[in-house]
Amino acid sequence: MTIDAQHSQARGRLGRRDFLRRAAALGLSASAVGAFLAACGGASPATTTAPSAAPSAAPSGAAASTGASAAPTSVLGGGAAATATTAPAASAAPAGGGTATRAATSAVATATRATTAVAATVPNVVTSKSGFKGTLQYWVLNYQPNGANQTGKLMDAATAAFTKANPDIKIETTGYTGDQAGFTKISQAVQGGGSVDIFRLPSDILPQLVRDNLIAPIDEFLTPEDKADIYPNMLTAVSVGGKAYSWPLWVPPVGMYINLDIFKERGVEPPKAGWTYDQFIAAAKQLTFTRANGDKVYGYSGVIDPGIVNTWPFIIGDGALPLSADNKQYTWNTPQAVSGLKKLVDLAQTGAHKVAPPDFGSQATADMLTSFQDRKVLAMYSEPSGASSGYRANKVNFDVVPMPIGASGKPITAGGIGLISVTAIKDRAKLTAAMDLGRYLTSAQVNVDVPGFYLAPGARKSVKVADPIDKFTPLVENCYITPIIAEWPQIRTILHPYIQNAVFGRTTPEAAFSEPAREINAILAARP
Amino acid sequence: MADLTANRTSASRAGAENPIVRFFKRYGWGYAFVLPSLITFSVFTLIPVVWAFIISLQNYRLNGDSTWVGFENYRLAFTTQSGVFKIAIRNTLLYTVFAVATNLFVGLVLSSLMQPLGKWAQTFFRAAYYLPTVVSAVIIGVIWRWIYNAQWGFLNYVVGLFGIPPQRWIASPDLALQSIIAQRMLTVPATAIVLFSAAMASVPKELYEAAALDGAGAIRQWWSITLPLIKSTTLFLVVLYTIASFEVFDLIQVMVPSGVGNSTQVIVTQIYQTGFQQYRYGVAAAEAFILFLMIAAAAAVQFRLLRSDVEY
Repeated sequence: MTIDAQHSQARGRLGRRDFLRRAAALGLSASAVGAFLAACGGASPATTTAPSAAPSAAPSGAAASTGASAAPTSVLGGGAAATATTAPAASAAPAGGGTATRAATSAVATATRATTAVAATVPNVVTSKSGFKGTLQYWVLNYQPNGANQTGKLMDAATAAFTKANPDIKIETTGYTGDQAGFTKISQAVQGGGSVDIFRLPSDILPQLVRDNLIAPIDEFLTPEDKADIYPNMLTAVSVGGKAYSWPLWVPPVGMYINLDIFKERGVEPPKAGWTYDQFIAAAKQLTFTRANGDKVYGYSGVIDPGIVNTWPFIIGDGALPLSADNKQYTWNTPQAVSGLKKLVDLAQTGAHKVAPPDFGSQATADMLTSFQDRKVLAMYSEPSGASSGYRANKVNFDVVPMPIGASGKPITAGGIGLISVTAIKDRAKLTAAMDLGRYLTSAQVNVDVPGFYLAPGARKSVKVADPIDKFTPLVENCYITPIIAEWPQIRTILHPYIQNAVFGRTTPEAAFSEPAREINAILAARP
Repeated sequence: MADLTANRTSASRAGAENPIVRFFKRYGWGYAFVLPSLITFSVFTLIPVVWAFIISLQNYRLNGDSTWVGFENYRLAFTTQSGVFKIAIRNTLLYTVFAVATNLFVGLVLSSLMQPLGKWAQTFFRAAYYLPTVVSAVIIGVIWRWIYNAQWGFLNYVVGLFGIPPQRWIASPDLALQSIIAQRMLTVPATAIVLFSAAMASVPKELYEAAALDGAGAIRQWWSITLPLIKSTTLFLVVLYTIASFEVFDLIQVMVPSGVGNSTQVIVTQIYQTGFQQYRYGVAAAEAFILFLMIAAAAAVQFRLLRSDVEY
């Protein structure tokens, strides 16, 4: 599971045939495989994410308009210093109200209302001049056919728009799940050749596919308009050896969801962009209380999981990133990193502030939704944009604000990048057609043709997203993207239990970040 | 005499000329009947195990550019990720010991209690105990996750009635594994009940009658007749439950997906993490092969200790 996968909040069923093949390779017996398939087969999403609801041409908040146009330059790729100076403001106004009804349906109908007013200004890139006649195999993360889920509806509409403009090109869409087994499936399908021409992928698996020469660079297909439109650091992020290997689609940065009903209940003023960690603690303490009916309400929580960086803004808020800018050195064994982790640890019941629930550190994403939306016993939690559309559709009275600023004094959050890549197709016309489709699916044009297409802030300046996704747009420029190197999945799974155990009070923040240093540095040193 | 010798030689030559034909004439149908099972076993068990061993000796790459690394992956399995594989082995053994012992004991006791009942009552109880096994382990895991929830879980509500403060059943590294083991121990072992019941029903009644005539009571009869005569079933169940426990994955993945600081890591979750989250297929294959060897060793020991020489 990755940030990008998580943000879309839709997990379908496993590709059993591919999993069986891979599991067999690992020597798992039939019963173990069966158990695994059973486990994954039942892992349906708690809710279906609905798209944005109310039309909004501009991001909410005073300075939010800068978010869509300013290049997110600061903390990408593991090292460059943050340069952002303006903390974008977010709206604190109640956004919806009413009861939290699960109405995660009629997604496209709802999305239609979220039409952005940019049709006249975006370049039309839907027409392919490749001359290709035939079928493109398009694999999509979390796609379910026949409009069975939100991604399915939006992607079917987008490919239909493309084929309408290019009648000679047919597109066959295949879905894969947003978990590691799904990523294994797509990796193997790409490796097998022939069954995948273009595919959606999270940034985590890009380096491995590049390493194995399985995807084509996009450089020669990038037009001057593309280069001017795509945020420069997005292209940098998808570049390996000086070549860009993916069409950047979107960036789901982590933001702070606040339950305005609970804020109102406690008479706490909703925070504004630029708030500090101390202000956050003060609010969280006020929002941690016991209701007359015995319900315990907690000020803050967040999922701590190997594939999720939802709580990382606290850790990196004091100025320390996990790896050096060149990804050659582990850098979380510094006083800044330790103090950042201590800020996270202090939120737990074993810490100094005790504003998080007792199971903080072991909660799942579904627990956040239950606490925040259904039981209303969680005042604030941090997560990327995916959940926001569902909350809007379910009329949850919520808002999203940037994460509180730490000792570095600079706004910062964490996230990943959603990408579209083209496999190493030998047929030149087909390759060009696939690239044209990739350009279209990451353009502002697709958002005009399919309103609500973007479920996270886009990677192009021309892409304007609607409420509530636009609440995350200002966060993009301060978003730290986890390192896009092949070794990162291994490194993050090493770090995760240390962070967890620090939160559980089993180890100190100092030990949690110093103990894995040797192993992580050895992994980085062995990089080619 | 010479004719007789010549005839024997001739017959011997005729037989020696077609040994394959003779073999197939004699055993062909038998092999034909076991062939589908043999193919299935080879495709889904034998070849994967051999393949896993081969991968475990490689730095395996999806694009086919794999390189041979000898037994390096076996060393990496134990030394990387802060040695979590050793924790996973320890947790798996702990889980297996408690799960197998409890399941066998409970299965044995419930089956024995069902034996004196009438035919219809036995059928009812067997069905009642077995019916829950059709429920997906994922659903069971989700329910138990709710029972154990630290904020609104059913168990904390129950212990709260006795004045005990809420516990972090699956949210504390000190409690999570024990809670998962407890869940397994509290699950009725349906397979054991069905098989023990069948085995007990097949024990000749004459033995009990003879024992009763000799003055043996119910417990003595159970100890001296029932237990020894269902030893082969017991062995089968021990092996079955041991393998299942070694391969536990689904419940843990559902109940504690974040791992609770590696405190709930077992071998198969570790294989999953190494293979599907870190993409280190060679190391994952090495871990899988180690699991295979552990299961084979455990099964061999169990066969040795529990083999039955009694036939009836």
